Amino acid sequence: MDIKKMRESHKLLAEYKYELGKIERGYANRTLYVNISDNTISSKPVTETMKEKFVGGKGFGLWYLWNATSPSTKWDSPENEIVIAGGPACGITQYAGTGKSLVCSISPLTGIPIDSNVGGYFGPLLKFAGWDALEVQGKADNDIIVYIDGNKGVVTIEEAPLEAVDGHILGEQLTEMYADNEDDKRNVAVVTAGTGAEHTRMGLLNFSFYDPRRKTTRLKQAGRGGIGTVFRNKKIKALVVKFSNVKGNLNNAYDQSIINKTGIKYHKEIHDLDHLQNNMRKIGTANIIEVMDEYDLLPVMNFQYGSHPDTEKIKSTVFIEKYITQGVQDGCWYGCSMACAKAADNFTLKTGPYKGQKVTVDGPEYENAAGLGSNCGIFDPAAILELNFYCDTYGIDTISFGTATAFAMECYGRAIINKEATGGLELNFGNFETAVELLHQMSRGEGFGTVIGQGVHRMKKMFVEKYGADADFLFDIGMEQKGLEYSEYVSKESLAQQGGYGFTNKGPQHDEAWLIFMDMVNNQLPTFEDKAEALHYFPMFRTWFGLYGFCKLPWNDIVPEGNQYTDEPAKVPEHVQNYLDVAYGVTGKRLKVSDMIRESERVYNFQKIFNIRMGKGLRKDDKAPYRSMGPVTKEEYESRQERYDKQLKEIGYHIEGKTTEEKIAQLRKYREDQYEQLMDAVYKRRGWNSKGVPKIEYLKEIKMDLPELIEVVKDLQ
Amino acid sequence: MVKIIKLNNRDFPWEEGLTIKKIMEKKRYTFPKIVVKVNGKVIEKEDYEKTEVNKGDKVEMIHLLAGG
Amino acid sequence: MKYLAKDNSKCIQCGNCETVCSKTYFKEDNYEKSCIQINKEGDPEINVCNQCGECIDICPVVAIKRDKLGVVRIDKKICVGCFMCVGFCPQLSMRQHDDYIEPFKCIACGLCVKECPTGAIYIDEKSDDEARELKLDEVFRR
Repeated sequence: MDIKKMRESHKLLAEYKYELGKIERGYANRTLYVNISDNTISSKPVTETMKEKFVGGKGFGLWYLWNATSPSTKWDSPENEIVIAGGPACGITQYAGTGKSLVCSISPLTGIPIDSNVGGYFGPLLKFAGWDALEVQGKADNDIIVYIDGNKGVVTIEEAPLEAVDGHILGEQLTEMYADNEDDKRNVAVVTAGTGAEHTRMGLLNFSFYDPRRKTTRLKQAGRGGIGTVFRNKKIKALVVKFSNVKGNLNNAYDQSIINKTGIKYHKEIHDLDHLQNNMRKIGTANIIEVMDEYDLLPVMNFQYGSHPDTEKIKSTVFIEKYITQGVQDGCWYGCSMACAKAADNFTLKTGPYKGQKVTVDGPEYENAAGLGSNCGIFDPAAILELNFYCDTYGIDTISFGTATAFAMECYGRAIINKEATGGLELNFGNFETAVELLHQMSRGEGFGTVIGQGVHRMKKMFVEKYGADADFLFDIGMEQKGLEYSEYVSKESLAQQGGYGFTNKGPQHDEAWLIFMDMVNNQLPTFEDKAEALHYFPMFRTWFGLYGFCKLPWNDIVPEGNQYTDEPAKVPEHVQNYLDVAYGVTGKRLKVSDMIRESERVYNFQKIFNIRMGKGLRKDDKAPYRSMGPVTKEEYESRQERYDKQLKEIGYHIEGKTTEEKIAQLRKYREDQYEQLMDAVYKRRGWNSKGVPKIEYLKEIKMDLPELIEVVKDLQ
Repeated sequence: MVKIIKLNNRDFPWEEGLTIKKIMEKKRYTFPKIVVKVNGKVIEKEDYEKTEVNKGDKVEMIHLLAGG
Repeated sequence: MKYLAKDNSKCIQCGNCETVCSKTYFKEDNYEKSCIQINKEGDPEINVCNQCGECIDICPVVAIKRDKLGVVRIDKKICVGCFMCVGFCPQLSMRQHDDYIEPFKCIACGLCVKECPTGAIYIDEKSDDEARELKLDEVFRR
């Protein structure tokens, strides 16, 4: 690649100089606004109200997005924004998982705000460059990059015609271009999408971090909701930030000592216990592949089943032994001793434009193995890695791709669509060649790949209109809600998790609550009220990570010694205290757990009302596909007949002499009713009315009764 | 009369010589982060094999949360 | 490779080594700022880096390297102060003090050896085979 030529062909569209600031207690106290329609750049102050009501991170992102958009804004409207914000704890280097950015935009899949949580160096370096958030609004005429030089205090918008679009190449090119030398490469962070993001609605953003041992630019993904699609629709090729003097105290923490102490305690814990617990340092989140299979929770063939004998071939130890480089520091930000950002090095690609090349594949994470693997019936580790690689470089969300492809495969298997529809592709479960060809089609913008790229919601409609499919059946088996594809856990046997997915703000992603063990296995949530309490606490608790710039994984992917003797082991009380201590150390705010929940409630309800403003966010939008709740088909029922028969007997239904179809219908009636009852209980606990609308008195109680919010909910009380 | 214990507050058949380890094998509880209690008392991992469970005992096998 | 060897049985817990170490590197007589540390109660135990090099692989920015003599050194200009090396040191000999944002460790300079009245510490050589860090060229098959 001729970097010099690429740089010379840049055309400067705008330049903005700023004073390098100083961060105080985790805040740079200003944010950067870039408009790529009229090429204006400006600085906005962070107000005390913003800090008090929204904290940072996702809170800031949603607030700016609210102000930028109107109820009629579509994902591809010029006024839609992409906001990237880290939060006050972002950029700490002593505690694990403190480099997260939260990205917000109006989603092409859902039409409502999406928030996606991502590692890599962009968020921390953005803050050190002097900015708590970056707002990008408008649409460029030609491909541009936005470059923030945090050493000199200059922001530029530049046309960039020659660079690649695919993430793994563009990340390398821009890292090379903006770094002074090899040692400086880790001071450059790049955000890209990829060619697939241009032709689908499920585009993702890659956030880079330079790996000084592998000497390669590695990528973490803001995967959910199609933000990469918005990015390419705006003709943004990349966002680049450079800051060259990272130290451990740049946040000017209120009390650095408590952060040091808490961090070192946690590093020791990882050192002593990780290999006895989750093996996060060896294989990252993929450690649970075989666990999910064992507990019947691994999605197999479009969530029909929860386990498969061939899971043996893709269990975590196979990846550890054959593919994933061991023993190398794999944190996606400095100080992450959990180090879950694993990679397969020297992986030879078998297909596509990069066929024959040896690449570093960032992954597999659990979701990739389950979504690209078992859910599509593909039980081949090399196939999973290849799909993982192409999803990332093309900028395609592995979860939406996996769930959407699994749906199309089931439709094909049931002859709802045929080879004519797929353009000649043999779309059966287990067919890696087809799955990877779909990705290449997404990159090229042709064929059935672009149909799958529209997501399950739009495919359902198309299959009904074009091929006369049964709309009700497609609603039952299409694993999407609010337009977003389900992430990769089987929630059928856990009512609480059905709600954990179904009552989310952005759509069915497990980052609000994962309650399957508590509910289904441990039986700790026997009543609706118990479930509702968990469906209040956990979503609020987990929202809080995204306000501060924390990662969720270090919270409970390891537990400290003695956790079993605490009152509520599932909450990992010592780690919760760690977060409160670190947050105090940075900001000087001494929070209790109840304060933490309150901070989240404000932003959570803000997002809820944002949804309502955009025309979703009501009870009807929380309806879920029946495949997420119970057996849709005879095969599914019979695969767990004992369990289902038992449940029918318990509810007083006489199963003797009944056909499977009759039993399915009866079970469905019961389970759907349970889901409705759960919805009532959860809405009540969350301070919402039966329509799913936050009550004004509750908004007052949490001090979120802003006039613009009251305006949206007042007629829905 | 059926001999049972309570496992996570659900009935589970009791048999002579039933230990924590045997229950976990029968239930295929392979998750690495499980808190085990018998009648409210925490049992450490190294004691699973030798800890016998009596009729009517209340056994908890609390799987801590997972999920990426 | 060069390292500071120890013989606990000869140590009389006088603390001379701590004094000279902290004075040399931090201009202060403070055992919390000494790379070598002696327990204050119970049978003498000398805690000091044995130059095993496990910290080398832990550092996210490759600020820790082994020098020509085999001594493991931290480049404080590169260090980002994450203290993972402190948490992961198998000997618990990587030091941290809140007055500084980088960790510190014994570099086998030998100044303490001269102050030790009993010969409990001494500079020695051991086989390079005892180095615990990964060989990256082999790991990545470059």
